[in-house]
Amino acid sequence: MAVRALGWLAALALAAGVATAFGYAPREAVQGNVQRIMYLHVPAVLTAYLAFGLVFLGSVGYLLTRRPGWDRLALAAAEPGVIFTGITIASGSIWGKPTWGTWWTWDARLTSTAVLFLVYVGYLLLRGMIDEPDRRARVAAVVGILGTANIPIVHFSVKWWRALHQPATILGPEPSPIAAPIAVTLLVNWLAFTLLLLYLVAKRTEIARLEDLHAG
Amino acid sequence: MSAYMRRAWIVVWKDMLSERRSKESLNALVFFSILLLFVFQFALGPERARVETALPGLLWLGFILAGLLAFGRTFLVERENDCWEGLVLSPGDKSAIYLGKLAGNVLLMAVVEAVLLLLFTVFFGLDFTGVLPALCLVLALGTLGLAAVGTLFGAITAQLRARELLFPVLLLPAVVPILLGSVSATQSVILGQPLAVAAAWLKLLAAADLVYLVVGVLTFEFVLEG
Amino acid sequence: MPDNWSYVFAAYGLAAVGLLAYWRHLRGRAKSLAGRDPRSRA
Repeated sequence: MAVRALGWLAALALAAGVATAFGYAPREAVQGNVQRIMYLHVPAVLTAYLAFGLVFLGSVGYLLTRRPGWDRLALAAAEPGVIFTGITIASGSIWGKPTWGTWWTWDARLTSTAVLFLVYVGYLLLRGMIDEPDRRARVAAVVGILGTANIPIVHFSVKWWRALHQPATILGPEPSPIAAPIAVTLLVNWLAFTLLLLYLVAKRTEIARLEDLHAG
Repeated sequence: MSAYMRRAWIVVWKDMLSERRSKESLNALVFFSILLLFVFQFALGPERARVETALPGLLWLGFILAGLLAFGRTFLVERENDCWEGLVLSPGDKSAIYLGKLAGNVLLMAVVEAVLLLLFTVFFGLDFTGVLPALCLVLALGTLGLAAVGTLFGAITAQLRARELLFPVLLLPAVVPILLGSVSATQSVILGQPLAVAAAWLKLLAAADLVYLVVGVLTFEFVLEG
Repeated sequence: MPDNWSYVFAAYGLAAVGLLAYWRHLRGRAKSLAGRDPRSRA
């Protein structure tokens, strides 16, 4: 089945991603090998944004058409979205400990991502509390739409807030300038994560569809 | 007045009238603000300097906590008196109800904020007279954003068993930009800085308010079904 | 700066555990649904 094939493709891409992250990408001059966490952290946050974009799509789609398929898409994207957001935060925090000496810094990306995490955990909690399928879908859609519309607002507010309290640090998970092998490794990992997301969304949608069939 | 605005106005008028008679929300919220003042002071300790540095944050903490109570109750009256169906079945554009409820919430918060501001002046010996217009602008923009999201989520959680838990859980992450922007702008205004310094934050608040209002107006009818 | 490989492995390890756990959770649900309805394919 197509979903199975997607799964295998994602697994292959992930293997390639890890291989490049550890084998192909060079040891970074200033930070050392701990910088390799970036090949996990950056693709994870990009994939999370894609997931929440899908939540938005599903939410708008449901409100406009009332077809349950759209709501299933929203749900199916929100779950892995929260997981990838969690990975972003965890990897960012773990990277920060040896680099900045502390498990948590209120730097712009970590803080924005943490807020994103809270928003979509709330989204899933809300869904969990409503049994009636139509009301659940409608109400979740509204929360999902506001959550996504809020993403750029949160991003800018946190960035400016951060700039107020601390000068921009040169040392970040991303290196500068970006050399070719680093860019390639980032790209491969980003692609792998995107494929993984699509696979998880497809599988979750299928499960939701079957559950609706059994329930109805 | 167009029918739409009239419907919104009726909602505000009805809520204000029932509030003026019972005064239950207003009294409790004002008293809550007084309590908060004491809690803040006890939490921060006797040194005045600590409170003064934390002032913008404390102010908005107070507003948000009061807002959680106030906005969570937005549709309490309709729900408890079996009038929810009345809202659902009302003719025309439902977003008029949203705007009416929003206006009511903003008015309620305006009173609470005025009281809290006055209390801060008295209890912490502060003087806002020079910066009052600018401060009012910040308060207005921030409160509008809080109320826009609060009214929408208040409607969403109105029908839920776990509304007291879920309402703050949904609202607080959503209003993070409002909190950041309002506190920063308030800080700047209180320090006597020219408005231009806080301009960036005010623009952010205004943009956020616009986004939240648009989402609220467009999606409210979907919340109000059934 | 020293290499801190333990941190790198911790980060990747956590991510792997999280994703694997979710995937297995999905697989379990899919299997139980397929088991209930013989007509649906996994």
